[in-house]
Amino acid sequence: MMNEFMEAATAIESGPVKKWKADGGRVIGYTCSYAPDEIMHAAGILPYRIRGFGAGEMTIGDTYFGPFICSLPKCMLQLAGEGKYAFLDGAIITPGCDSMRRLDECWRKAGEDHPGVVPRFFFHYGVPHKYTDYTIKWFTDETRRFIAEMSAHFQTAPDEERLRASIKLYNRSRGLLERLDVLRTGDTPPLTGSEALAVVIAGSTMPRELYTDMLEGLIRELEQRTVQYGDRIRLMLVGSANDDVDLVRILEGDRALVVADNLCFGARSQTDLVEEEGDPVSALARRYLRQNECPRMYGDYRRRLAILKEKIESAGVEGVVLQNIRFCDLHGSENGLFERDLEREGIPCMRLEREYGPLVESGRMRMRMDAFLERIDQRRKSA
Amino acid sequence: MIVAGCDVGSLTSKAVLMKDGRMLESHVIKSKARPWESAEVVMGEVLKRAGISRSDVGYCVATGYGRSKIEFADEAVSEIACHGKGARWLLPTARTVIDIGGQDCKALRLDARGDMEKFITNDKCASGTGRFLEVMAGVLGLALEEMGGMSARASNPITLASACTVWAQADVIQQVNDRVPVEDIAAGINNAMASRMAVLVNNIGLERDVCMTGGVAKNDGVVSALEKLLGIRIKRIRRSDPQIAGAIGAALFAAEKATGGRL
Repeated sequence: MMNEFMEAATAIESGPVKKWKADGGRVIGYTCSYAPDEIMHAAGILPYRIRGFGAGEMTIGDTYFGPFICSLPKCMLQLAGEGKYAFLDGAIITPGCDSMRRLDECWRKAGEDHPGVVPRFFFHYGVPHKYTDYTIKWFTDETRRFIAEMSAHFQTAPDEERLRASIKLYNRSRGLLERLDVLRTGDTPPLTGSEALAVVIAGSTMPRELYTDMLEGLIRELEQRTVQYGDRIRLMLVGSANDDVDLVRILEGDRALVVADNLCFGARSQTDLVEEEGDPVSALARRYLRQNECPRMYGDYRRRLAILKEKIESAGVEGVVLQNIRFCDLHGSENGLFERDLEREGIPCMRLEREYGPLVESGRMRMRMDAFLERIDQRRKSA
Repeated sequence: MIVAGCDVGSLTSKAVLMKDGRMLESHVIKSKARPWESAEVVMGEVLKRAGISRSDVGYCVATGYGRSKIEFADEAVSEIACHGKGARWLLPTARTVIDIGGQDCKALRLDARGDMEKFITNDKCASGTGRFLEVMAGVLGLALEEMGGMSARASNPITLASACTVWAQADVIQQVNDRVPVEDIAAGINNAMASRMAVLVNNIGLERDVCMTGGVAKNDGVVSALEKLLGIRIKRIRRSDPQIAGAIGAALFAAEKATGGRL
């Protein structure tokens, strides 16, 4: 079962996506966790999280973005320019950060030079940076604008009943991911951090009905799993977007286990449910705007720190890896604050700046991880 | 029991033999293309100098970039931990260790027991590393060892505009073409090295005593410039060559591991 999740997490156009397309299904890609999957699902369209995974070079990405910017949207554009996202019928760009917002114009511009790389439905989905009464209203209106434009383009409208059914289904799968999280953060985790990440990533690419069924099966399997990871050092992984299971594998090596994370491709996506009563569109707007735990939101640092501390406590985390993609202002600066505040409470932290994309820095990364684990080992022995 | 530490770095490889906390022998070579070849040569040489064979070594710890590729080593430990351990042996009062290696630079803070409290490494480019200095010395036609003494003789050190090794090299070539005295150029290079390092050190927070390890610790121009930037005295290591601190740390870890002690 884990192999199927791993396959879905490590291929851009995975088996389930190919099958969906072969059956005549349509796919809308989105770039950031603020786009509500439920709306596309309710319209009978497969929501698919766009990734930059597997970009081997940056000739197209660098041309439109320039060198001094986060490599994640550049890798996304690179893959789009190479035609790897030709299966997308639509794309949504959300301003998760400035680099991601720029993907909107860079992708459109690249479309002038590389005909056919811009999906015919291409939508900029505004997301406010604060959670207040008026921003919820604004985001609700923006969500209705998205629904209207998507419905007009694809000639399929997500009516209220279908929206409610989609919300219910996604809530169910979020509940299952929470169960997975309980297994993962327990005393004897039955899976590694890279496996856990693969499971979550797979959910952002495959049809939700299939995913939910597979997830139920996996949890049953994991509850019976007898694999033990012994005395590995328990880590939490925090920071910039990461959809590369190999990064987690390198960080874990054979001495550590990532038992918890706070990543937007990771555990963040399962937190909190969408209210099933009342107007579904405003319920979605409230959940997505409030619960993403992303540093893009203003004035939310203390709450995010509290979330981390609670997870560190409940998962028995011994060290926190605060990683960020180079030029990621949001996570780069927030990681500095996390490091200050967590170290002050005696929680060892290691900051790691990296490029998104091929893991060319793995040797240096491994060296730093070894030193970090040795530091934690010394603490264990001194305790 | 005789123990060994083998530090295979990107520019040089070092081996140390120790017994009962005393150093028996050490050796440094220029690294070869493959880490296992460097390890074989440097370890072979240090054993020869000590007049013993490999079977006389009870435990060996490898460190450096090639640490996991050394077959004769019993264990591998990161160079960050080894430099901390080695620095502490070289200077027992050390609480902050600055190490400038061939292709990286690192700063680490130790607690009162000598355990690692915090560390940081450069993660952007080769700027501020031994390789940077080597490239610049090459442009000036100087031996690496000559660079350090130049700062004391400089009257008007240049400022390097770029942090990039390649662009800084172009800056230096321009200064040479403009007939700027070589002492002023070399001093500017030493200052540039120090300023890159100061950023890292300030990031982890200084705690006295501060010392430097690695080959660049022998460059007094860089050390003095760093002292000025940090506003603190950097204690010079006299007990042995600061370049072999990593290998010493590895040998000390080997002794602990052989006797079941703490890491």
